[in-house]
Amino acid sequence: MAEKTFLDSTELVLNMGPQHPSTHGVLRVILKLDGEKIIGTDCVIGYLHRGVEKIAENRTYAMFAPYVDRMDYVAAVSNGLGYCLAVEKLLNIEAPPRAQVTRVILTELNRIASHLLWLGTHALDIGATTPLFYVMREREEILNIFEKYCGARLTTHAFRIGGLQYELYEEFEADVLRFCDWFLPRVDEYEELLTENRIWVDRLKGVGILNAEDCKAYGVTGPVLRAAGVEWDLRRAQPYSGYQQYEFKIPTGQNGDTYDRYLVRMEEMRQSVRIIRQAVERIEPGPIMAKVPKVLKPPPGEVYVSIEAPKGELGYFVVSDGSTQPYRVRVRPPSFVNLQALDKMARGGLIADIVAIIGTFDIVLGEIDR
Amino acid sequence: MADEPKPAPPKPAAGAPKAPPPPAEMAATPWEGELPSALKEQFGDAILECSSYLGQNFVRVAPGAAIPVLEYLKLEQDFDYLVDVTAVDYPKRAERFDLVYILYSFARNERIRIKTRIPEGYRPESAVSVHLTANWLEREVYDMFGIEFANHPDLRRILMPDDWQGHPLRKDYSILQMDQRWVQENLGIESGQ
Amino acid sequence: MKRFFRTVFLVDLLQGLWLTFRYQHPKNIYTEEYPAVRPKVAERYRGAPRLNTNPETGETLCIACNLCALACPENLIVVGSERNEQTKRKELTTFTYDTSRCMFCGLCEDACPVDALELTQDFELATYTREGQIWDRQMLEEGPRPTKYKF
Repeated sequence: MAEKTFLDSTELVLNMGPQHPSTHGVLRVILKLDGEKIIGTDCVIGYLHRGVEKIAENRTYAMFAPYVDRMDYVAAVSNGLGYCLAVEKLLNIEAPPRAQVTRVILTELNRIASHLLWLGTHALDIGATTPLFYVMREREEILNIFEKYCGARLTTHAFRIGGLQYELYEEFEADVLRFCDWFLPRVDEYEELLTENRIWVDRLKGVGILNAEDCKAYGVTGPVLRAAGVEWDLRRAQPYSGYQQYEFKIPTGQNGDTYDRYLVRMEEMRQSVRIIRQAVERIEPGPIMAKVPKVLKPPPGEVYVSIEAPKGELGYFVVSDGSTQPYRVRVRPPSFVNLQALDKMARGGLIADIVAIIGTFDIVLGEIDR
Repeated sequence: MADEPKPAPPKPAAGAPKAPPPPAEMAATPWEGELPSALKEQFGDAILECSSYLGQNFVRVAPGAAIPVLEYLKLEQDFDYLVDVTAVDYPKRAERFDLVYILYSFARNERIRIKTRIPEGYRPESAVSVHLTANWLEREVYDMFGIEFANHPDLRRILMPDDWQGHPLRKDYSILQMDQRWVQENLGIESGQ
Repeated sequence: MKRFFRTVFLVDLLQGLWLTFRYQHPKNIYTEEYPAVRPKVAERYRGAPRLNTNPETGETLCIACNLCALACPENLIVVGSERNEQTKRKELTTFTYDTSRCMFCGLCEDACPVDALELTQDFELATYTREGQIWDRQMLEEGPRPTKYKF
């Protein structure tokens, strides 16, 4: 039997603490390492738990809408859309067409903003500082449009139950189209910086592979699932808010590794611009709010509505007991369910890979912890 | 102080609030079709109700039958994606919790809800053996409601601190309530309020 | 062969560097130099609250209907009123707004029937004390007075 020398390494437990620049929020990952290779991970979450589901039971339906924005604070408009669609389904009303088209435009702008922030922070984690500044510049333009429309940049509270509160401002269509024209070449610029870059390719190709069966077993949705090759998008499978009228491609990848997820998200940004251009042509004059009673009292029942948020399937399970306050609101956060697959993806990789993997999931702790 | 002509806005109550009255019945319509018949044929009496509300189908099953139904739906009927596991608390009912599983099938593009009513203290079987997604989802149900799942690989609190007493989303846990002992020990302050 | 040249001469890295180099031109600078240059926010921006007054008479437009207090998710508006015996209407006496807990969601602004309560474009609301964040009627009517520094 070989003698044990002082060079033999034992298992090391390393804490990648809640305060860490690369964990995208207050996420604590406990790594079990053998040298630099990861043999196990354990995520500890809950540092940002604010009890949003408990708050929902103590607010009326309309009052709860500002709280939903604060969950996925990077892409706040989608959260609002999901909640409004769920309550509208309970009330059995539908927003008028003008409201639906505006909702689509704002949601797609919000998807571009979310993917831009993902790109900036992911690149920053890998080591490329430049894309972060460029994406902030693009995000400024989108947030300016949000600000002009609803008055706030990040926690927008843009949609109301039954439609929209604010009428479109005068230069809305011109602003949006100008943004689309200005933005598309920028996506090519990011690709120029990153896609063929050997450092980028070496860091991302073959890292964090999650194939299609594992994705379905772990319930992973969103760009992670699409990069594994499954062409599934809730906007196509179960369309909401008029998405069936728009033509767009669903980008997929082949290997299910981090590089494919990067390509899928870049292509999704381009497809979002395509949807926005189609939607702007469909804006027609009309009312922006459906006939909604002043005091919202949905009949007792429950409903589950989910949308394709930038991070995956965001679902709202709303139970009503006939009073003005919801009985239970359950938010199914995409990042929470996606993060479970971290253990599977990280095993066998190096510590540097875990930074890339956390970045590629595109998690937002506000959504995970609620 | 402000007077309230309309339905009162939420007033934070100190201590334990009154639990809300039990919900009126949901106006569900019965759901006929190939899937309910297949389920009834396979499980017989364990399927208590197959209904649909607002176009969303759900099946209420007896507590012990939830996992076999999930397994059957996954293997035979292609419902391979567990979307969510959650619970609703009805404190005035004998069977206090309503455990809800939401499933989706990629092949059929269909969603279905499986609901069971379980009393307090009952330990349902964990769905991890059927769907791996259920791991964290059940941990959250345990954390928030106190429903313990038998044979779960790693049942501990996920959102609240590990040694927190109490289960926050139960209706008898006030929105202002907190585990005073934990706050004083760990944060060094008298109270979080 | 082409691959060999691309790899040895770092063509892909130089491509990225050329893009960054193009951005060195001063006309491509996007940085806003706050606080020397204060940004112009949109008209609908949800900033500091203000109680509007009638420009001619100086009286408050608020009719003390309490709808804003009912609409607030955080219950931070307290409206005090007394009944005027002559006109048989409610008159506003005190109005307290707690900006430390305010989400700036705009529900109070939407609820006001006479457009008395409005969220303006002021975003500089910092104070040195917690008590300074609770605004009374006078502060709401005048607005916050941030210190303007001179450079």
